[in-house]
Amino acid sequence: MKTEVLTKESIQESFLEFLCQQFLVEREDIELEKSLVDTGIIDSMGLIEISAYLQREYDIKITEEKMNRNNFGSVIKIVDFVIREKL
Amino acid sequence: MHDSTKRCTCCVLSENFPKIEFDEKGVCNFCREELYHSTEKSYIDEATRAISEMFEKERGKAEYDAIVCYSGGKDSTLTLKLAVEKYKLKVLSFTLENGFTSPEANKNIERVVAALGIDHITFRPSKKFMRELYKVSSIYEIYNKKTLTRISANCNSCISIVNNTALKYAIEKNIPFILSGFTLGQIPLNAIYYKTNYAFLKESRQSTMDKLTDLLGDDVHKYMGISDRVIEQVKTYPVNINILCLESHTEKEIVDEILPLGWVPPKDVDGCSSNCRLNAFNNYVHETKYGYSPYELELSHLIRKNLLSREEALHKLLDQPMDQIRYAMKDLHIDESQLPRFKVQ
Repeated sequence: MKTEVLTKESIQESFLEFLCQQFLVEREDIELEKSLVDTGIIDSMGLIEISAYLQREYDIKITEEKMNRNNFGSVIKIVDFVIREKL
Repeated sequence: MHDSTKRCTCCVLSENFPKIEFDEKGVCNFCREELYHSTEKSYIDEATRAISEMFEKERGKAEYDAIVCYSGGKDSTLTLKLAVEKYKLKVLSFTLENGFTSPEANKNIERVVAALGIDHITFRPSKKFMRELYKVSSIYEIYNKKTLTRISANCNSCISIVNNTALKYAIEKNIPFILSGFTLGQIPLNAIYYKTNYAFLKESRQSTMDKLTDLLGDDVHKYMGISDRVIEQVKTYPVNINILCLESHTEKEIVDEILPLGWVPPKDVDGCSSNCRLNAFNNYVHETKYGYSPYELELSHLIRKNLLSREEALHKLLDQPMDQIRYAMKDLHIDESQLPRFKVQ
């Protein structure tokens, strides 16, 4: 679980590192404002993996209602979601 | 047993596996960095506790506590046994008959459900549809590349129908849990148990569904789609659980556990399956298209967990009977020339 002071930049950096390691992609393949599903980075199981990663890393509870396009629709949206949940 | 493929000297990941790199000793980066297969004890402990609590809370409330996706293979047979005998769940066993189940596996299903004294249902989709689905999954690029590091396209097609059908039954009968026989290595560590937002899941599968619909027509939605009616109707979705991930059994231990139920190892399947006669062909297609076996990740995980020797894993990978591959190609009307060929990058 992350204990340092969280900023948008630090969350995004950690998340991109996770994506590259888990989903076999390079940073330049990830378009920050586009859907990770639509761009073929992840599949439906990937959503489960990302949800579990965020819950574990940031000690937040993600119910299935929160797993929607508004919160999980792109890297930017996911980072914003984590910030909102941590407030 | 001759293996000419360059592989990691510790596991069986091969040189064409995505993002693989070998060090000077021939050890791959997946072994060195434990990519994919981090089995932190805390994850397993937390899942064990959470699953026990969920079972305790829901047991006995509905007609069935769980629907178990039962292929007749050894892993799902042990899952069924654990659900009934260890977790004391009232289960509904469910089999998708894909048209390629080994006759011995079908007998195993009969014997095991009888021995456990449980209810069982079989869903047999149209053979015509299944043949066409397997054919297009073999020839075209339907699924995400990441998905295909763990599973062949044909197995993924089949499992999509299994999951979808199990979900429909679970919703119809208010069953709180869907149990499957996946083990770590086949699924990510954090997918031992999960709930899904099906509206978002439907959106996330749209591109795949569009490709399949273009190729196969609207029947795709009947077998693989989640209807808006279901999504709107349901308040709480079932939890998907893979209880085998909480166990540490070698293959021999699994077989020893299920033999008393009357389970017999089928002889007409390849080294990586214990129920499906299409599996050898599925692996052949995957290796032809991508240059590696869809079982490398799972078998490598078992090696790292000391549940399988490297030699046993290699034996499984190389046990791909050509007669079964030819039989499937003939049955599906696929010509070798239709399969895209892997090209070294």
